[in-house]
Amino acid sequence: MSITLDSQVPVAAPVSAPVKGYWQAVFSRLRRDPVALIAGLILLIILAMAIFAPWLAPQSPYSTSMLNRLKPIGTEGFPLGTDELGRDMLSRLIYGARLSLLIGVMPVVNAFVIGSAIGIVAGFVGGRTNTVIMRIIDVFYAFPAVLLAIALAGALGAGLVNSLFSLTVVFIPPIARVAESVTTQVRNYDYIEAARASGARSLTIIRRHVLGNVLGPIFVYSTSLISVSMILASGLSFLGLGARPPMPEWGLMLNTMRDAIYVNPWVSVLPGVMIFSVSICCNMLSDGLRSAMDVK
Amino acid sequence: MGTYFFKRILYVIPITLAVSFFCFMLVHLSPGDPMDAVVSADAPREVVAMVQAAYGFDRPLPEQYGRWVVRAVQGDLGLSTANGRAVTTEVFGALVNTLRLALVASLIGFTLGCLFGTLAGYWQGSLLDRFVTGIAVGGVSIPHYWLGMMLVIVFSVELSWLPSSGAGPGSSSDWVWEWRYIRHLILPAITLSVIPMGVVTRTVRAMVAEILNHDFVEALRAKGLAEVRVFLHVVKNVAPTALAVMGLQLGYLLGGSILVETVFSWPGTGLLLNNAIFQRDLPILQGTILVLAIFFVLLNLMVDLAQARLDPRIQRN
Amino acid sequence: MVYKKIDQTLRQTQRLAVISIGMAIMAPAALSDEQVLRIAMTASDIPLTTGAPDSGFEGYRFVGYTLYDALVNWDLSSADEVSGLTPGLAESWEISEDDERVWTFHLRENVSFHDGSEWNADAAIWNLDKIYDEDSPQFDARQAGNVRGRIPAMDQYEKVDDYTIQFTTSEPDAWFPYQLTFFLFSSPSQWEALGGDWDEFARQPSGTGPFQLTRLVARERAELEPFENYWDADRVPQIDRVVLIPMPESSSRTSALLSDQVDWIESPAADAIPRMESQGMNITSNPYPHTWPYQFSMLEGSPWLDINVRKAANLAVDREGLQALLGGMMVPAEGIVTSDHPWYGEPEFETRYDPEEAARLLAESGFGVDNPVEVKVLISTSGSGQMQPLAMNEYIQQNLSEVGINLEFEVLDWESLFPNWRRGADDPSSRGAHATNITFAWLDPFSAFYRFMHSSMAPPSGFNWGYINDPEYDRLLDLAKVTFDQQEQDAILAEFHARVVDDAAWLWVAHDVGPRAMHPRVQGFVQAKNWFQDLTPVYIEE
Repeated sequence: MSITLDSQVPVAAPVSAPVKGYWQAVFSRLRRDPVALIAGLILLIILAMAIFAPWLAPQSPYSTSMLNRLKPIGTEGFPLGTDELGRDMLSRLIYGARLSLLIGVMPVVNAFVIGSAIGIVAGFVGGRTNTVIMRIIDVFYAFPAVLLAIALAGALGAGLVNSLFSLTVVFIPPIARVAESVTTQVRNYDYIEAARASGARSLTIIRRHVLGNVLGPIFVYSTSLISVSMILASGLSFLGLGARPPMPEWGLMLNTMRDAIYVNPWVSVLPGVMIFSVSICCNMLSDGLRSAMDVK
Repeated sequence: MGTYFFKRILYVIPITLAVSFFCFMLVHLSPGDPMDAVVSADAPREVVAMVQAAYGFDRPLPEQYGRWVVRAVQGDLGLSTANGRAVTTEVFGALVNTLRLALVASLIGFTLGCLFGTLAGYWQGSLLDRFVTGIAVGGVSIPHYWLGMMLVIVFSVELSWLPSSGAGPGSSSDWVWEWRYIRHLILPAITLSVIPMGVVTRTVRAMVAEILNHDFVEALRAKGLAEVRVFLHVVKNVAPTALAVMGLQLGYLLGGSILVETVFSWPGTGLLLNNAIFQRDLPILQGTILVLAIFFVLLNLMVDLAQARLDPRIQRN
Repeated sequence: MVYKKIDQTLRQTQRLAVISIGMAIMAPAALSDEQVLRIAMTASDIPLTTGAPDSGFEGYRFVGYTLYDALVNWDLSSADEVSGLTPGLAESWEISEDDERVWTFHLRENVSFHDGSEWNADAAIWNLDKIYDEDSPQFDARQAGNVRGRIPAMDQYEKVDDYTIQFTTSEPDAWFPYQLTFFLFSSPSQWEALGGDWDEFARQPSGTGPFQLTRLVARERAELEPFENYWDADRVPQIDRVVLIPMPESSSRTSALLSDQVDWIESPAADAIPRMESQGMNITSNPYPHTWPYQFSMLEGSPWLDINVRKAANLAVDREGLQALLGGMMVPAEGIVTSDHPWYGEPEFETRYDPEEAARLLAESGFGVDNPVEVKVLISTSGSGQMQPLAMNEYIQQNLSEVGINLEFEVLDWESLFPNWRRGADDPSSRGAHATNITFAWLDPFSAFYRFMHSSMAPPSGFNWGYINDPEYDRLLDLAKVTFDQQEQDAILAEFHARVVDDAAWLWVAHDVGPRAMHPRVQGFVQAKNWFQDLTPVYIEE
């Protein structure tokens, strides 16, 4: 798997005051995009599933029952069947949304915060600082994303925290690159030059004038990474480098059900359906957002 | 132009050094005594001694790194702690298999991607376009190890058409481009090809659509230019970018085949890496990542240079 | 109308095309008359082929006892009897009457290595030097690392005449012949012919075994062919070629068998067994010397110091339910050894499923479901011989919680759990756990009892992980070790084992049955009650 790390992101119209109007236009355009809407809706449902898991799940995701192992879809009491330890698949998929979304989304959120900070500083300060920071970032580009994630997780050892850390490291460089290029553009706008000339402190300028202009594009770019992050995070768990049993996590569930594939193929592939759904919806929503923001 | 080439090539040197430093530091990332990390608990003493000599853990870090790099340049990446074989032999043996898989997957992905992308670009907004775009998004969104599992269920287990694992009836070193070997390649290659397929489709579609929207295309058509000529014009403009995208994708596939290789027991670098992780064979881990990353850097370099040559406007810095 | 018809024809053509493509794909590669047996192993690499295999007993099973012989071999011919020892490269042996540490071995004559060179006392001594004499040119640290730990009694060795050698053990040790089964003999002349390079020898090894290695591709395959001049005419292989393929993922092994890429797989996943049976595959199994226990910590603060808690745990596990979970592929454990074994003895405590009694015992010590015993256990996600650790442990967790013992798991990977074994319960890497779940083989009294239960085997000397220190255990074990009469020794071990069971010294859960799945064309295999198996009688019949 790969991330297309192109930094070509639509930059918000270079104005500071009418930002609100711009975003309103974006959202009204987004509302007219049925694909993005449906994708968003599905994501909301899955998110709600994660949040309200204790109320939604018919059973505990941990309670095992040897008598009820590997029941097919549609069994009474187990609408989506059971797994290799007789746990209710529906409940595990619902609870699984919590961990899977967390380990899929958290790295991007972390990387968004750290990467933006790095990129904005590099872009705003410019000069030698910029060169040093961006050259370090370049080093990480020498690794294909999957390889970098697996190398780090493999060296650190299996575990949730390690996999979160590894994926965060994977996503910082692309976000920082985008942040840097957007900030560099914004930095040269007249009113920022003016603010600088009037002697305003750098931090104040960044807060007042830069952030509003750059965070939007960085955010949109980051949303496009969530899908990759979901697949990578569950992939690490699938390899045994992420979540640990008996945690309900989709990638890990795919892994532990691999042997059951000959008994109950349809139940075994369900966690993959969930990963696929989240990932494809994220991509479609992110595509919708992009084209809605495209000022052309 | 000449300076750009020169600079771009020179730039590879510091990057490669930094990459090697990162790989070296992987060992020190592991919690606990670095020696514990490199040598498994029951490794034979011969291996322990060799590793100790190679790393010199009692020496200052920069010196350790220097020695490691010097050995690496001479083609000595140390010994596997799991089986005592030379890491270099293991990695390059596996790399051949991964390349074979990745190249075929790229070819499939590229061909389908160009086909789909062109169709969708030509009939932008049509039902066909929507369908193709859907497939493309699906391609980049699907967890491909899951796709691989499903292909095994259908084509190996249920239909018994294609084998589920391995690289041929003999070993991968006997590989010949004959059906009895190629059939082992089909499922993993298809699984791996969905991503480049998706990416190339999206790129080509966007570019074709953009070119066709240009006024001069209208003008050409108005002048009565045959549709074939218009198409050739499109191809001429899209090809360099599509090829560049493909080149980069090949690099990603090399690094990203680990999950697919694990599902299909394909004896490449991914499977090697996976085994190394679970045997805590850090010299192999280190060596594989170093070799793959350098390969990736060189591939990027070639793509950049080729692109700059084809289109001097897009010289990346 | 016409359109519709064309459409139909098109569809038919398509279907035909699909079918014919399918047929073409299905057509297997050109078949010859050669009988080939393809085996998928669980190892991730071909075990070391120089004569001292790594990868545990699977290594010995497939590239040890196939290519090589020991002085004393395992008798693997019976599926009913517990496997015993049988003369191998030595025809007989005896202990000196004056000194119980001195063993004399009479070597078999007219035995040749695969390269044609002769087996004799010089070859034997040369091999001993390769493991024990660090100054000898043939010393190989890798082999030494794999072998030395398995023969703790070895002290000295010498040549007496061309077909006699003598060993001196460090102390009297009746179990020495068992240990010698791990010492395999490679050909000195082949090693010299290859320029004294063990790596080269690994590719072109030469032993005395019934098979010879004809091809080795690291990580992918090893090919064995019969050695026509094998000294034991009864064990000349029936098959023309054996192909060994490493395949660590159990689901990969299953699909490889179902799609006819291999004929034989080791350790099929329990869940896939019904499916394999429905496709006509044969599942073989037989209990063998393997135990799946919880080894208790006897350090201060451990809840297991209370014998009521230990007994309650043993009474709370529903082993038959667990057996069902594993698709029948286990035998309930009632002690370290199986109850039909001569060492089992006659304990008073019966290891059975009796939750009421368990609850009563716990209540006696002031525990119950409302006030449970809190226990922390080290478990692994996978590992050699661990069977299905996660599923089994979760099942036990559920069982024990019903009577008032709460288990908390520290889940480690096998590569971390295993080294912890020798470090002990008080090591930081144990993370304060009160039990560890490591399975093991017990081929001889040392590996079954001594290394776990004798106080001298406390970490780092042995695997007495929980620091068991019982003078009576020590006395009986020491006595058995110097009792050279087999029956007498068995009686002492039975007394020892009965005592261990009465103490509920560990939690005993299961013995593995070594399931294997094979294509029906594989014939002649006799699964011995052992970790090792004999491939020589196997043949292929379409």
